[in-house]
Order: sequence, then structure tokens, then C-alpha cells
Amino acid sequence: MKLPDLSRRDALACGVRCLLAGSGLPLLARLHALQEAATAGNPPASDYKALVCVYLNGGNDSFNLIVPRNTADHAEYAAARGNLAIPADQLLPITPQRPQGRAFGLHPSVPELQAMFEAGKLAFVVNVGTLLTPTTKAQYRNNAVPKPAQLFSHSDQTTQWYAQSAAAEGSNGWAGRMADFVLELNQGSALSPAITLAGSTRMLQGQTVVPYALGTNGSVQIAGTAGTRGQRRFAAFRAILRKRHGHVMERQFADLQEQAIELDGLIRGALAGQPPLQTQFPGNSLGNQLRMVARMIAARGALGAARQVFFVRLGGFDTHADQLSFHPQLLSTLSLCLKAFQDAMVELGTESMVTTFTVSEFGRTLGSNGSGTDHGWGGNQIVLGGAVRGRDLYGTWPSLAIDGPDDVGRGRLIPTTAVEQMGATLARWFGVAPGDLAAVFPRLGEFATSDLGFMA
Amino acid sequence: MRLRARSSCTVHPRRAHPWRAGALGLAAALAACSSGGGTPYTPGLDLPEDEAAASRFLARATFGPDAQSMTRLQQLGYSTWLREQMEMPPSLHRPELEARAAAGQSIQQADRQEMWWRRAITAPDQLRQRVAFALSEIFVVSDRAGALVNDAIGLAEYYDILVRGAFGTYRELIEHITLSPQMGVYLSHLRNRKPDPARNLKPDENYAREIMQLFSIGLWKLAADGTLLRDGQGQPIPTYDQDDIVGLSHVFTGWTYAGSTSFQSGQPNYRPMEPWEQFHDREAKAILDDVVLPAGRDAAVELADVLDRLAAHPNVGPFLGKQLIQRLVTSNPSPGYVARVTAVWNDDGNGVRGNLGAVIRAILLDDEAMHGHRTAPETFGKLREPLLCQTALWRAFNARAGTGLFNYTNPELNLGQAALRAETVFNFFRPDFRPQGEVGAAGLVAPEFEILTHSTITMITNQLYTSVDRHVGAGGTTETQILLDLSRETALAPEPAALIDHLDVMLLGGTMSPELRTILLGHLPLETEMRMRAHDAVYLIVSSPEFAVQK
Repeated sequence: MKLPDLSRRDALACGVRCLLAGSGLPLLARLHALQEAATAGNPPASDYKALVCVYLNGGNDSFNLIVPRNTADHAEYAAARGNLAIPADQLLPITPQRPQGRAFGLHPSVPELQAMFEAGKLAFVVNVGTLLTPTTKAQYRNNAVPKPAQLFSHSDQTTQWYAQSAAAEGSNGWAGRMADFVLELNQGSALSPAITLAGSTRMLQGQTVVPYALGTNGSVQIAGTAGTRGQRRFAAFRAILRKRHGHVMERQFADLQEQAIELDGLIRGALAGQPPLQTQFPGNSLGNQLRMVARMIAARGALGAARQVFFVRLGGFDTHADQLSFHPQLLSTLSLCLKAFQDAMVELGTESMVTTFTVSEFGRTLGSNGSGTDHGWGGNQIVLGGAVRGRDLYGTWPSLAIDGPDDVGRGRLIPTTAVEQMGATLARWFGVAPGDLAAVFPRLGEFATSDLGFMA
Repeated sequence: MRLRARSSCTVHPRRAHPWRAGALGLAAALAACSSGGGTPYTPGLDLPEDEAAASRFLARATFGPDAQSMTRLQQLGYSTWLREQMEMPPSLHRPELEARAAAGQSIQQADRQEMWWRRAITAPDQLRQRVAFALSEIFVVSDRAGALVNDAIGLAEYYDILVRGAFGTYRELIEHITLSPQMGVYLSHLRNRKPDPARNLKPDENYAREIMQLFSIGLWKLAADGTLLRDGQGQPIPTYDQDDIVGLSHVFTGWTYAGSTSFQSGQPNYRPMEPWEQFHDREAKAILDDVVLPAGRDAAVELADVLDRLAAHPNVGPFLGKQLIQRLVTSNPSPGYVARVTAVWNDDGNGVRGNLGAVIRAILLDDEAMHGHRTAPETFGKLREPLLCQTALWRAFNARAGTGLFNYTNPELNLGQAALRAETVFNFFRPDFRPQGEVGAAGLVAPEFEILTHSTITMITNQLYTSVDRHVGAGGTTETQILLDLSRETALAPEPAALIDHLDVMLLGGTMSPELRTILLGHLPLETEMRMRAHDAVYLIVSSPEFAVQK
């Protein structure tokens, strides 16, 4: 990626995300210019919007999250799933507006998701996954259409969920590219619009946007700067960061450390100015991540943010073994944390401004290995928020029959909806102009619709 | 490499640099000349050209140079030092933990982490420990997996498989790894069973997939120099497909804990798994490269056959050899460097394939390793992993706690990693990670940057600050805290230039830039207390971008 030199206006629009790429201006000069611009006035933007991406790491068995419960479809489901099938009478019933000729229920561990679904806040995008073009089983078998490379591999399918099957060499993801297109709205903010609570992720990298990585307790303050001695030493430390560096990795390291220190000041100040959240979050990793997201949303005015996209992660979904023990716990954690987050959005009055969605690299085999499941393909994802057209299913529910029309082996289901279509629906709501969608999702034109309709 | 003829066992007075306690250095040198712990090691001709060269080499081959290893390497030369290191008995991790458990102590993962630090900082077989750590980041298991949380002794034994196998053959190593019940739990081939058509059950594919994707051949066919092979349309060529994984998944069936009285229930332990033939699939199986394994074979026979085939695959040398180069030397080795290592992987000169000792030697003695800092000064080297920043600091200044223990048992909280504690089988970072920004834009990878974020970079810097702050004489320290010994540095502090020269050698392998030297020379005289001047010098160097990148 080669970036042109930035004008001052570009620098303002671009914010810190561009700084790593280097613009010729000294880093600090750029940061200080941005911060001055940001202090001009900071009421919350009137049209604030945020997306929160919840990555279910390992491949969620989402055909045990939402399950058909009418007799015929449940029988087909139970035959495919063997010892992993959830009995129909244990499912938590839901009533989608368009149930596609079936009745559905949710996993018994997710009553909070059931309640939010029934309240119209939550919807499912069903059997969505990586595709290069719409694909039938016959086309798959005959290699009649291009297929995503390295299907069923964690690392490759994660990359493709994020990168949208663009060239493997590409290093950015669609949430980051979406942020590229709405940056103008964040004019003056020194903070990247893309914020990860879960470390490095390609999902948030844009053409120009560089994500900011935040800790679950906020940003980290540099130690050892107290007193005259500390200040003197800190001055030498900063001088070392700002000197000329001969090695490309030294330059990247120095830039990152400089940004971390500068942005710590900004974020620390912004968070300190907010009243404490009343909503209680579960005391686990996902709860801590989502609580910090909520705190950042509360501080959106002080941060000068009109558009933000956040990334959080819940691990452990690669349930090859002992799935009946582990998966219910994971789903329960997810359900409780999403409920707490949604409550926090109500508390902050941002419910209709914030949309949360899940991603996971693949669904799992419907067939069991006796203890758990193996890597599949299509899966079901959650979208949640006040702007979601909830209590409904989007996309075509597949056949769950082993060796049925959607199965390429052991219940690995060909997706009936592409990641692009789900992403573009979110992007449109987020503010990406229809004409720019193809730049965010290069293969969007392969698919029938770019708007699945789940966003109001 | 520059060879210098030198008569053996002469101690050059000029080499007794001020930082080395003179008497100690001389005594050690003389001891080496009489007998190296029972076995005489005759110094070779390939002596390091200077202390800085020795320091750079030790940064790759150990957990960081210390005074003792600097002396020894300069006495023996590279080849002989490598031989001495490889012939040392392995310092294992499991036996002491097990003995303490037998004596009634409850052994937790914290004890395993303490043992890891103790070995990393103090074990004499540094090369072996360093290579075992590199292997632990390729053949990943993790105490983050629910089923292994309470198995500290089992994971210590898994680590010992890597310690013992560091210089053996790959074929032996991959068998020990495959049959480790800890790996069996982690990648769920323990108690994996043949298909059960009546219940619609198929074998677990987990280990079948990951042994190919991560532990042997990788996803794409490679040339010997590590570059991608391409088909007629210019596309990379997959090494296997999903059907091959399904076939291989049937191979890894029928194994469970040694000594089990039934297949489904057995006492967890760390001995190699044992087969139960009635749960092993005996049908024919199609695996990669259009091979069909014959029907009717026992689990162990079939396993040995499959491991032979994987170990013989032409991808193994470039796929794993390149990763070992990345872990020890440089993130972006040239194709020529990879090809030279692959050649040794394929044949160590005695017809042995996958001789890891020979491969490690080839990696460390390659011209590119020795001279990359000069021939490619902008790109050669790698970001130091946070754990290796910590070990380098502690070793350089002989850090110890009053208790003799290294109780730093949750380093992931500040350093973002800990031994056998990755979130997934994909390690803390991927070998092809390309950070956004100048490094990625230049088409380079920098795997360790995957750990480094706006949050972790300051946490790591702060951890290094705390570590430097805790030194002998600092006051307010406790018996359990690990304290640096900065006495030598404090003694040098009245002369800042001498202090800087000494730290340049120990911490930066003599690569300090003139700009860094100038800033230090400006700052240090402002600190008038000599102990604190030494403290500031060490901190400012280990927190600098120049230390962060091992060259």
C-alpha cells in the first residue's frame, strides 16, 4: 500500500490511523495538530453510529444455537446431529416474523437472546459464510465455480471472513475499509475510528485506517515518569523514540510506542470525564471487553467520534471434544454479555445508534465425532440493536439433512448467503454510500442483493 | 564467517574487558583449557571476531548473553560451543515438579511457569532450552485449554519432549508429540475412534488437519527455498484437500491414555498413548498425494507409516526450517538461506533426514545470520518476543531472587505471552503476520508484531521498567522479587562512555546507533547517583527500539 503525502486537511480527516504510514510530518506535530482541532468543541455527534463485531473464535456450532423445532424439521436435525441434538422440548421457542415454513427455538443456555429476539431487538442471518459466487452442490462437486481457498481451515477462513476473499496478500478487512469511507465524519479526532479490545485483527484494518488496540481496563499509562528524575528519564526515553531509526522494524516499533503514549493521554482524559456505568457486566473476558466498549461509546463526544467500529472476541468455540460440556457455557457467556451490553446502550441512550453482530470463521459439521464436531462452512450469525429489524431470520434456511442438497460432507453446509451481503447491509446503515460498497466488498456484484433488509 | 586461527587455550589479556570480573573470567578460561566438565572441548578456529559478535550470536542461540556464556563462546569458538551445548545433559522441567508433587505439594501451572523461567535464566544447556522454546511455538499445546488447566506436570513433560528432542530427528520428535496425551487432549485425538455408522459418528478431524497444516507440511507446496510452487495458471498448489484430512482422521483412531482399563475411561498421565485396536479403523484410507493406505493394519503400524510419509514430504524442510530461522534469527530470511537450511534438513551430510541438531547448527552458522546486520541493516533480524526481552534482561544482569525461585507466573498479563499458554494452536503470532504500516508495506513479515499493540507495547515497557527498578541495593525489595545485579554497571557509571560501551555489547550486540549513544551521553551525567545512573542506562536501552529488534 502506498499512501500519498497528506495535506493538513487530509491529516485531520485521517486522524491517527494514517500516522503509521508516515506522511513526512513529524509524528508529534501531526498528533498535536489533531488534538488541537479536537478540542474546538466536543458534544456527542448527533448522528453517531457504532458497529460492534463479536468474533466467536474457533467456529461456533450455530446450528445448535438456532434450531428448527417443528416435528419434521427437528427430526431431520436430530438425525444429522446424533448425540449432539437438543431435544425439541428443551428449545426456547422464538417466533420469527417469516419462519420459512418452520418453527424455531434457541439453545436452552440463551434465554437473554430469546428475550431480545422476541422484543424485536435481535435477528439472525442464517447459513452465511465465505463464497466467491453463489454455489450449488453440483457446482461445488464439479468444480464448476471458484471456491474459497482452504475451506475449513481456521486461519484461512478467518482471513476470508474479514478480507472478503480478496487476494490473500491483502492485509485489510471490511470493517476497516468501511471505516475508511466514513472518516470524514470523525473530523478532528486523533483516535482511530477502529478500536480492537482483542489485540491485532485484520478485520479492522482499512486502506488508510489503522486500528487502535485498547485494553479492557482502558489505555495503559507509561510507568516511571514521576518526579524530577522520572521526568528527566522520560524525556530521554521520548528522545530515543523520536530519533532517526535505521531499521524498518525499529521505526514501526517507535511509531507505535509514540502513538500509545499520546493516545493514552487522550483516552484517559475522555474516560475520566464520564459518569460510571450503572449496568453490571459479567466478570469474564467478553464482559470486560464489552464494558470497555460501552465506556468508549459513553465518551464518544470527548473522543470526537461520530463513527466507530469495535472488535471483541470470545474464544473456545473449536469444540472438537466434549462439546456438550463446553458449548452451553460459551453460549451462556455470549448471551449474558450481549444482554449486558444492550442494557448499557439503553442506559446511555445509544440503543438505536449501536449495532452488534457476531462473526465466526465457519459453522461446524452437523455430524458428530462422538464427542464434538469438526470444521464446517456456513453458519448463523446474530445482529442486535435498536436499529435492527428484529424478531426475524434473514437469508435462506438450509436443509440440515446429511448428504442433503446443501451438504458437501458430514453436514458441512454450503452457505446460502455470502459474508459480503451481511457486511454490505451493515455498511449501508453505517453510512457507506451505495456507490462505495463495491470498494469495500469487491465481490458484492456476484450476489443477488446487497441489502438483506435487517437494518432499519 | 570470519575465521581466525588462534592457538588454543591462550587467554588474551586484551579480551579481559573491564565488565568481566577479571579474576573470574580468567579462571573460567583456564578451567575450559583443562577440561570442560569432564569432556575436553578443544577450541575451534571459528572464534567470534569480537565480544559484540559473541553477544549477537548468543542473543539468537540462548535466552540472552551473560558474562559466563560470553566467556565460554569466545574460548571455544562457534562450532565447538555448539557441540558442547548439544552434548550437555538436558535440564528437564517435569522431574522436579513431579518430585514435589510426590512429596505432597500441589503443583499448579504457576509452578510450571516458575520452572520455565528458572531454566531459561539459569540452565547451562541454553541452546537446548532456547530451541525447545522455539519448538513450543510451532508444536503448540496450551494450558488455556480447559482440559489441560490442571495438568501442570503433564504439560511440563510435553515441554520436556521438546527439550529432549531439540537436537534429535524430526521423525522421532513428531512421533513423541503425536503420542503425547497432552497433545491428544489438546487436539482431541485421544479417545478418537473409528466410524460408528449406526450412530452416524465419524472420526475427529482435528489432529489430522493440524499435523499437516502446522506441524509438518503446511497448506501450500513449497520449493526448497521456501517460496510457493505454482501451477500452470500461476496459482499456488494446496498440499492436501478435505478428503485427505478425512482419510487421515481415520489413522489417528484407537489411542488413549497408557494403562487404561477401558478405552473411554482411564487415568490421565503423561506416558505415550497406547492403542486399542478395536477402536482403530482398519479400512483402507486415501490420504494426501493420492496414497491409499492398505486395510487391516494395527494402529501403531499405520501411525508409523503415516509419520514416515509426512516426514519424507519435500515441504517439511522449507516449512519448518524457515520457521526455526524466524524464531531464532530473522523474520525475513532470503530464499538462499532457507534453501541452505533445507539442504541440511534433507541430508545432514551423513544421510540423516530431519536432524534438528544439524539444522540448528546450519541456521546459526549461516553467513546471513552472521552478517545480516551489516549486509541488510534495515531489514535483517526480528522483533524480540516479550518473553525474550525479559530473559535477555535478567540474564545480562544475573538476576536472582532471595528464594532462588523465579516466581513470575502470569507473564501474559504484562508481556502478552507465557510458555505453553497461547490462546489457540496458532501460537501467539503467525509466521506470516504482516503488520500494517511500513513493515507490511515493504512486503515484509514480522510475526512478533502480532503481540505488539498500543496496549501491550506500554505494558511491556512498564514490565521492563519494573524489572530494572528491582535491583540489588534498590531498597524496599523482598525475598521473592527477582533482582538485577547492577554492581558492575554502577562501578562503571562514573564514566558514562564506558558504561554505554559495556551495555552496547551486552544488550545490543555492539549495534548501538550514534544517535542513541548521544542521547545517553546527554542524559546519564544528569543522574548523579551512580546506582541510578546505571539503572537509567539499562532501562533506556532495553526500552529502546534498538533493543526491541534483535539484529
